[in-house]
Amino acid sequence: MASFPTLDGRARKGPHPEPMPAYYTSNILRLFSEDLERRPGARVLDVGPVCGENINFFAKKVKRLYVCDMFLRLDQDRRKGLLPERTWQHLDYLPQSFDGILMWDLADRIEDREAQRLTELCRGLMKPGGKAVVFVLAKETVLQTVNTFVIGDNFQVYLRPQPHLNLPLRSRQNRDVLAMMSPFKPVKSFLYRNGVREFLFQND
Amino acid sequence: MLKKTKNENIDLTRAPSPVPEGVPSSVSAAGKTIIGKQLSIEGGIHGGEDLVIEGTVKGNIELGKFHLTIGPKGKVEAEIMAGNITISGQLKGNIKAIDKVEITKDADFNGEIKARRISVEDGACLKAVIDVEREPQPVGKAIDSPVPGAGKAPIPLVSEADKRK
Repeated sequence: MASFPTLDGRARKGPHPEPMPAYYTSNILRLFSEDLERRPGARVLDVGPVCGENINFFAKKVKRLYVCDMFLRLDQDRRKGLLPERTWQHLDYLPQSFDGILMWDLADRIEDREAQRLTELCRGLMKPGGKAVVFVLAKETVLQTVNTFVIGDNFQVYLRPQPHLNLPLRSRQNRDVLAMMSPFKPVKSFLYRNGVREFLFQND
Repeated sequence: MLKKTKNENIDLTRAPSPVPEGVPSSVSAAGKTIIGKQLSIEGGIHGGEDLVIEGTVKGNIELGKFHLTIGPKGKVEAEIMAGNITISGQLKGNIKAIDKVEITKDADFNGEIKARRISVEDGACLKAVIDVEREPQPVGKAIDSPVPGAGKAPIPLVSEADKRK
């Protein structure tokens, strides 16, 4: 499997680094996608960071794709000294709106209390049986850089740094992730050699 | 011709009148109209040529097959129908493009997008509902299968005990 030896270096190169040539194949995104295909009229929420490739990937698989870049909004509010509680108001969708939520590593970029708040919000927004995708990065692999998990063909994923975002990485332990997502039922999780951990949760 | 203060429906398909000197905010040239930074328009715009908005527009915009560009300084609150739409400024409203919607990193968009194709740059501020025309599934196409060797040996992190929770 591909590793990410150059990622840290790439993040320091400048605001527009070239796409990283190292890929890995995401099993959780495949499971998530297969689940969506079994749901006609599926609605999915992507909380960002905004990524054209991912928008195109999911927009062609679901009936309606909702994108609300919470990474950018958290970053903006943080720079303004505003509390995260205000930021969550952007997730003002109706209860049980979504069949799936792509949370990526958002919860790993916020403090425990806020992560709990995010989890509860997402649970409220999700239909029964809906799935949530959570990624966690190893601290030693990517340091503090926020990355987009860019989806390519056959669920190959590479990480593209988002230098305009400044959100500290918590790099939670697995038990902490499971505790944080306790309102959900864990369905599957995978650890990759590059340090990425992927989780799929279900709203029962 | 567009004037500095507007609160009416504008039809860009009409024969253009000469641009008066000293009114640089709105220019029509080479099949393209530019609504300059100093212009604020409230009302509908119906056109048969490309339109660039650098000012403020509130209302409905219908351009048929033509291209709408909202420049970095543009502020638009509108329902939009056009051939192609490029957003670099602020836009609140629903948009429908015959072909492509392009959202640049400077854009701040809140609304619904219907288009055949969409491109979004990293860094764009987006709160959107996206409805992209789906490609028809080829008959007999197999569901994506794992790439041999790639992603191999994932280590399950959830124990059987966790699964039963």
